[in-house]
Amino acid sequence: MVTDTLSRLPALRGRVAWIFDEDDYDIDQIIGVKNIRIQDLDELCRISMVSYDPDFQSAVRPGDLLVGGANFGFGHPHSPPMKAMRHMGIGAVIAESFSPTYYRGETAMGFPQIACPGIVAAVARWDELEVDWTAACIRNHTQATALPFEMPTLTEQKLLIHGGHLNYLLGSLPEPTLGKE
Amino acid sequence: MTTGKTMVEKIMARISGGTPVSAGDEVRIRPDFVMAYDFPGYTDVIFRTVEEKFGLTELPAPERFAIFIDHMVPAIDPKEEEFHAQTRAWCAKFGIDCIEREGIGHQVAGETGYGVPGAFAVHYDGHISQLGALGTLAVNMPRQTLVEAFVREYIDFQVPQTVRLNLVGQVRPGVMARDLFHGIVQKLGNKFARFAVLELGGEVIEQLSLDGRQALTSISMFTGALSAVINPDQAMLDHALPLARINLDPVSSDSDCTYSAEYTVDVSEIEVMVAQPPSPSRTTPLSEVSGTEVQVGYIGSCASGRIEDLRAAAKVLKGKTLAPGFSLHVVPTSRRIMAQAAREGLLEVFSDCGAFVSSASCDFCYGRIATMREGQRAVSTGTLNVKGRMGSPDSEIFLVNAAVVAQTAIDGRIPDPAQMMAEVK
Repeated sequence: MVTDTLSRLPALRGRVAWIFDEDDYDIDQIIGVKNIRIQDLDELCRISMVSYDPDFQSAVRPGDLLVGGANFGFGHPHSPPMKAMRHMGIGAVIAESFSPTYYRGETAMGFPQIACPGIVAAVARWDELEVDWTAACIRNHTQATALPFEMPTLTEQKLLIHGGHLNYLLGSLPEPTLGKE
Repeated sequence: MTTGKTMVEKIMARISGGTPVSAGDEVRIRPDFVMAYDFPGYTDVIFRTVEEKFGLTELPAPERFAIFIDHMVPAIDPKEEEFHAQTRAWCAKFGIDCIEREGIGHQVAGETGYGVPGAFAVHYDGHISQLGALGTLAVNMPRQTLVEAFVREYIDFQVPQTVRLNLVGQVRPGVMARDLFHGIVQKLGNKFARFAVLELGGEVIEQLSLDGRQALTSISMFTGALSAVINPDQAMLDHALPLARINLDPVSSDSDCTYSAEYTVDVSEIEVMVAQPPSPSRTTPLSEVSGTEVQVGYIGSCASGRIEDLRAAAKVLKGKTLAPGFSLHVVPTSRRIMAQAAREGLLEVFSDCGAFVSSASCDFCYGRIATMREGQRAVSTGTLNVKGRMGSPDSEIFLVNAAVVAQTAIDGRIPDPAQMMAEVK
């Protein structure tokens, strides 16, 4: 049952597009609080990350990853910043740990959030990383190192496999029955 | 190996079929209550999803559902009123409760029998955690996950860990429940209860009223907690059971249960506090910001704005006049609280001193009305102080207790804590 789920999880391999090394990172800063009501995806992508790296959008390739510090997503996170990141092709966020509201919200959208203590010190920008679901570790192919991560719950794995909670519910899975898994 | 269970584990066991469960187990559970407030991008999307994507014409066990209309109240344009009209119509069509003009839903839920000791409730907004003051485990779900509770009677959930926090010692004069919360965050940080349910207990909790307990549990998210609970004592049971919409046996944590962590905070060390802009975790003693010039004050919200807060503010404001140009908004959290404040003469005090007194609404807390311009500063009992929360991203919010808001409104600057203690005496 568990291994069956693992084999269906999304393949994640890409470069570290940015390292948010501070704790309690507020993701609204990716686009700036002043822009938080913008909904247009192209506009959001154009303004994303410009205060960190003006060339971010042109440098990112589909599958690239973001790395974050402890309690990533703290604050009062809004959805546009990560909508922009997904639209740009960012495949996942790997952080020391996550703030629950942010983590649960993005996981429900099918956007992989992987808690990996020690990740900030173990990577440099543009390192090539791979999420090895079976071995439960992040492989850094650039530095030839590996670091264990905390496996998402079985329910969370299903959300990632189906690309979000809504797709999971719509995906002809049998009606849940009473009781424990 | 202990055999005792936490309150959370007992609730989860009951709603997953009765077999004992432990923190970390993944279970399928039946929420006792499913709640939401109508808001664009949330309820309208959920309603459309239920009908159009799942083709449902009825909800599973509809008596469990409640929709509150407390944001965009009163409406400021025809579109908002149309939005509320659609919410009312949808609730009528699906035969579910739609509760409006009673106050902020999280408070009204407790007043109208959803705060059942031992019950489990879901919402998409985290401040529902305040039902924990009555022994209800109330957890926020991401919007897409709340859809699951609308289309299935049973939802997937992992039994959360419980972090125990004992509050001991003597509460200092002038220190209110909000100060205790900010003091806890200052001592233990903003993530000590991450992904866990925070269970509050100890001699200080036993002495707190329901108002104080709701203030503490309503903002538990700023410790990283999924929610917060307090084992219901006789006073809470006496309050909650006559109102309860469903009959349940109240539950409490066993003395030999397993907590993932346990902390004790001596509240004697906690002063009158402030959460400085722009983060609820930037908590310091009030003295750090004493003297700061402020132009706006807000007493209200689902966190604070209950009768104890209003009494504390009125005591400071009685017979006084607001500082020239100062805008003070006093918004009791619910209609019932406002009526109580009227009976006690508090509304007269607020009005006489020059405050703007409003019926209950969520709208002051997030800047939809009483919106601040660039450069303004507010003292507030609202839930949050992030940039732009009450208007311009270049305005600032200092979260303080209701008496501090009142004193600031008179002085036009944040008071010295010694002044607040003298006020109490």
